[in-house]
Amino acid sequence: MTHAVPLITLDTLAVGAKATVVHIAPGNPQDDGATLARRLMELGFVPGEQIRMLKRGMPGGEPLAIKVGNATFALRRFEAALVSIQPE
Amino acid sequence: MAVVETRAAASAAAAAAPMVALLGNPNCGKTALFNRLTGARQKVANYAGVTIERKEGSFTSPDGRAYRILDLPGAYSLSAHTPDEAITRDVVAGKRNGEAVPDVLVCVVNATNLRLNLRLVLEIQRLGLPMILALNMVDVARKRGIVIDEARLAQELGMPVVATVAVQAGGERALVQALDAMALTEKVTPKPLDAIDTVSVEDTQREVRRILALVCHEKDDRGNLSETIDHIVLHPVLGPIILAVLMFCVFQAVFSWATVPMDLIKDGVDAVGSMVKDAMPDGLLRSLLVEGILGGAGSVLVFLPQILILFFFILVLEDCGYLPRAAFLLDRLMGGVGLSGRAFIPLLSSFACAIPGIMAARTIQNPRDRLVTIMIAPLMTCSARLPVYALIIAAFIPEREVAGFVSLQGLVLFGLYVAGIVSAMLVAYFMKRSMGANHQQPLMLELPSYHWPHLQNLALGLWERCKIFITRVGTIILTLMVLLWFLSSFPGAPEGATHPPIYYSLAGILGRGLEYIFAPIGFNWQICIALVPGLAAREVAVGALGTVYALSQSGDALAQSLTPIIAGSWTLPTALSLLAWYVFAPQCMSTLSVVRRETNSLRYPLLMAGYMFALAYSASFLTYRVALMLTGG
Repeated sequence: MTHAVPLITLDTLAVGAKATVVHIAPGNPQDDGATLARRLMELGFVPGEQIRMLKRGMPGGEPLAIKVGNATFALRRFEAALVSIQPE
Repeated sequence: MAVVETRAAASAAAAAAPMVALLGNPNCGKTALFNRLTGARQKVANYAGVTIERKEGSFTSPDGRAYRILDLPGAYSLSAHTPDEAITRDVVAGKRNGEAVPDVLVCVVNATNLRLNLRLVLEIQRLGLPMILALNMVDVARKRGIVIDEARLAQELGMPVVATVAVQAGGERALVQALDAMALTEKVTPKPLDAIDTVSVEDTQREVRRILALVCHEKDDRGNLSETIDHIVLHPVLGPIILAVLMFCVFQAVFSWATVPMDLIKDGVDAVGSMVKDAMPDGLLRSLLVEGILGGAGSVLVFLPQILILFFFILVLEDCGYLPRAAFLLDRLMGGVGLSGRAFIPLLSSFACAIPGIMAARTIQNPRDRLVTIMIAPLMTCSARLPVYALIIAAFIPEREVAGFVSLQGLVLFGLYVAGIVSAMLVAYFMKRSMGANHQQPLMLELPSYHWPHLQNLALGLWERCKIFITRVGTIILTLMVLLWFLSSFPGAPEGATHPPIYYSLAGILGRGLEYIFAPIGFNWQICIALVPGLAAREVAVGALGTVYALSQSGDALAQSLTPIIAGSWTLPTALSLLAWYVFAPQCMSTLSVVRRETNSLRYPLLMAGYMFALAYSASFLTYRVALMLTGG
């Protein structure tokens, strides 16, 4: 299977675009990154799950409102950057 | 005899009644289900040793079986990232001192979001306790075209599955029947918590997907109502405007809706006052009842309608799902001053009272962020300041409309709230800068689906607020009023006194002493007296003014209520200066003692009292001087 579209991180996904979660990176240890990665998974950002970017805040496109499963979560940009995705 | 026996049997049954624990993700309608099951039969207390709310209730099934029920804090998983989640984990694992292991767990899931909710169910199942799955919000799920095969789900999970609609009368019936059908005779000991981590999050989610594929059919819900609303509410430009307009309307309503009930309470208190006066001979006891208790506590009680209106709006906005959106919209602002997005919730609770707000700051993991949040929490205008604001605004701000429809009084109140928020943001910014912290804080906030606020939950919430306020008026405020009356009445005036007797009393001496410090910001000795009991609770200052002025007046003036008295005896600069003082108002002993407990050091409460006093004094000084200049004083 070839990846037609290269992997990107969730923080760069355009509003309205859909994607599939591929991988969650453990974050910066200084920011308690391992816990952060685990919690992201517990909220539903698990490899294989479908997500959709709903909305971005102002100014600076932060925070992000992301639909995962049937739930919507608000993330800051650096949290979203831990999530690698395969856009559709 | 027979009656006594049944009663004894009933109380024995209540003690032995099985303990049902409700648990689930946040936003699954767990608390609504709890309210539906128990009605007003709830006991709200704290878990031993921590300040997290513990809600227990009881109910009896139609078959006559009694149950005790515990509403556990919402959790996304049992790996417990917050103190709330740790409580849930410890209770179900039987690790919490003083809490028996529940006899049965009712896992409440949001039927519209099984993908997220089922993972917690699978985790908890590994503990091996008897469980029932309550498929809540099935009505909403059905409307969205989500079809769930309950029988198949029960088979796959190996536990009874019942459909519930917590917001509908009778929506809990299936759950009660399922509980009755369970034989809860043996006490089950839960497996150790390690059992949960035997399967990884990914594998658990794979299992959830497998089950969902078998039992659940759903349509693509893109463009559902919540998303459409969010499209407008979270709009980069419209969103903040809507938020500002909403907040503004709330403060307008606090003033314009409360007039009638406030007048009723005031007339009631006045009527009781004149009744007592007519019925009793002039003397100390009459003075205590009329000037001390009715004049003091009565003038605080008047503000109950305004507090209830404010909470009505907060509860409605919370219940319908708007509050997390407000956090979303304000996140950049919070991030800009270096605060965690999670700080929004503690800061919002601080509008009710800084104490729960400071305790809610425990959900912030980073210690420095938590500290800054704690330090600025008292700058959010707590409901205890509302009586002070309301009194001064009613006395000094003319009741007229600006631009045709906006009440000037509401506008001033709104401005005072904004002043508190802005100064909190500035203080946070400077504290963050001086700490040199420069790392990022997670937000991870769920934006639940919108739904109509639920009347029963709203009524219970308001009733709780009402009870808290009346209890405060009846206990702490009343006690202080009696004490203040005593200090204000003794010793009596000397012969040939030119001032009212209170001037020569202990309180008068204290007030006149403090006047040296506070005269530069325009406070007279009466205000200085009121500031002292205000240390115990801010709204006491209003009651204290009531007592002080009641004792300062004589003859006809005594019958008047407080508003016209202060309108007649203070200048506008003094009134504005007192308003500015109360934006910061360092004097609240209970807040300072909670800060001491939460930070486990004396340094921070002292720092807090110091910086707030300095801010209050400078703000009042500026306000007073500028107002004096403008009014030609």
